[in-house]
Amino acid sequence: MSEPAAPAADALEPWPDTVQWRSVSPKLITVELISRTVLTVVVLVGLLIGRLFAPHPLWYAGMALIVVSGIWRAIVTVRAVKAWGYAERDNDLLVRHGLVIRRLSIVPYARMQYVDVTAGPLERAFHLATVQLHTAAAGSDARIPGLPPDEAARLRDRLTALGEDRAEGL
Amino acid sequence: MTAADAPLHPPEPVGTEPEPRKRLHPLSPVLHGAKSLAVIVAALSWQTLSQVGLQRFVLVVIVMAAGVVVFSVVSWLNTGYSVVGRELRISDGLLWRRHRAIPLERLQAVELRRPLLAQLTGLAELRLEVVGGAKTEAPLAYLTVRDAAALRERLLTLAGRTRDNPAATAAPPSAPALERQLVRVDNRDLVISQLLTPQAFFLPVGLAFVIVQSVLQGAWGFIGIASTITAMAGVLLQPARRVLQDWDFRLARDLDGRLRVRYGLLERRSQIVPLHRVQSVTVTWPLLWRPKRWLHLRLDIAGFANPQSREGRRSDRLLPVGDLPTGRGLVWEVLPGVDLLALPTYPPPPRARWLHPVALRYLGAGLSPDVFVTRKGLLTREMSLVPYARLQSVRVVQGPLQRLLRLATVYADTAGGRSAAAHDRDLADAWVLADQLAVRARLARGPAPAAP
Repeated sequence: MSEPAAPAADALEPWPDTVQWRSVSPKLITVELISRTVLTVVVLVGLLIGRLFAPHPLWYAGMALIVVSGIWRAIVTVRAVKAWGYAERDNDLLVRHGLVIRRLSIVPYARMQYVDVTAGPLERAFHLATVQLHTAAAGSDARIPGLPPDEAARLRDRLTALGEDRAEGL
Repeated sequence: MTAADAPLHPPEPVGTEPEPRKRLHPLSPVLHGAKSLAVIVAALSWQTLSQVGLQRFVLVVIVMAAGVVVFSVVSWLNTGYSVVGRELRISDGLLWRRHRAIPLERLQAVELRRPLLAQLTGLAELRLEVVGGAKTEAPLAYLTVRDAAALRERLLTLAGRTRDNPAATAAPPSAPALERQLVRVDNRDLVISQLLTPQAFFLPVGLAFVIVQSVLQGAWGFIGIASTITAMAGVLLQPARRVLQDWDFRLARDLDGRLRVRYGLLERRSQIVPLHRVQSVTVTWPLLWRPKRWLHLRLDIAGFANPQSREGRRSDRLLPVGDLPTGRGLVWEVLPGVDLLALPTYPPPPRARWLHPVALRYLGAGLSPDVFVTRKGLLTREMSLVPYARLQSVRVVQGPLQRLLRLATVYADTAGGRSAAAHDRDLADAWVLADQLAVRARLARGPAPAAP
């Protein structure tokens, strides 16, 4: 292995000079927080109902645990969304995400099999969409959530165009 | 595929009419029926036999057999295939009609299988491997051996034809091509190699345990014997199955540069794999084979390898057992220019020993001119070779512990579903590796888009 020209400073910032990272929309934080809150409330209500049927102090402990973990998850969510980023290079798409386990995927446009654009009800309410690039490999992981619809459409069209340009069999 | 897509296909050479739909061999319903019948009898089991008595049992079986045969015949009447342009079209199904068109340029490999019953009747099953199929697409069961071989030759010829030169070698199915034998595995070596597996080593221990147990208990009852035999069969099943599967393993290369693999005792299989469909090659040195200096070669094709399916189907043997020179020669054939002995790999930095206290020096990764090489494994050593041209994507993953140690793992994904992983590289090294993989993959794919 040859010596690297310049040691990369950060796990999330390889090749700082050549790659322009773009982050996802901050509205994704709201979406994620809402879905987390809904989940937490549902569990809390479940615990409350359990408490009504069988009074026991443990129910309260459970509720406290849920609330604390909910708050912690919320903090993590905010940071995780900020960590999510993608970059379009000449020949490949870079996607990075994850806080605890950091992941970076490099997917060549030529290897693209198809592009998915999805938007759940909550995402739609906030005008967001998710773009996912699929290759023939099961391990490839190039999913970009929280894109504004026109950015998602632009990305999809660009990926499809580049994919067609450079397409080939396996 | 609809009529709208038809103009995309190159015009067929003049003189080949759209051919009529062909049926499978008339004996196929009988073979299918026999298979289902065996399953039914097994499902009914001895218990039912003892409960209802022999006469009724036979009656039930006869009624079921009749039903199965009628069903098989009807479904046979409804199954047909034809080659249209660059597609193989298969229609089957009784209640749910299904028409499938398999674009032949997506063909990864073709396998001709002859289970025992088919061998007795001179028939064969043709299986096509295409990308993305969770299971083998479109098994054509059964055809006569001659038809199956001819159809296979024809499909492969069509598949090999690129869009650019549609006029190249067309329809007439050529005679079996001349081929050059590369390897023939000695059956004695195969049996010995399967005796040198953990399962086989476990057998005497298990046997001794059972004997001691029954001597101590003083009773050598039916249950004891039966359970012993069952346990033995269970333990020996895998090695025995491997021996049966890999019996008389032969590998050859034909004039078109495709690999022809033949193996199997009860079920003869014969595969043809175009070389450019090979996604990766894995070399394994099992612990117990080390005194013999044997190795095992496996090759991955996009069609075979589905992570969810059973291990036996996942990927295919390139060499069930062989010594180093054989393996070296084979790797040279499959990945031209790659010498198994000249593949330097570099270990992770010493601080990675916090994560791998023992096996650190068996980890490694290296960039050779044509392939990405990774190694791992203390007891069973394994080496994966992924040609750059077959890389699908590159991933860099860093877990929390790795972050503390400034390490990262680089994955090179292939369409086979298997990824070569360079574990725990130094972070800067990992970025260089990922960058190099991306660049080399691009160069290896080449500027010409139409050269799969």
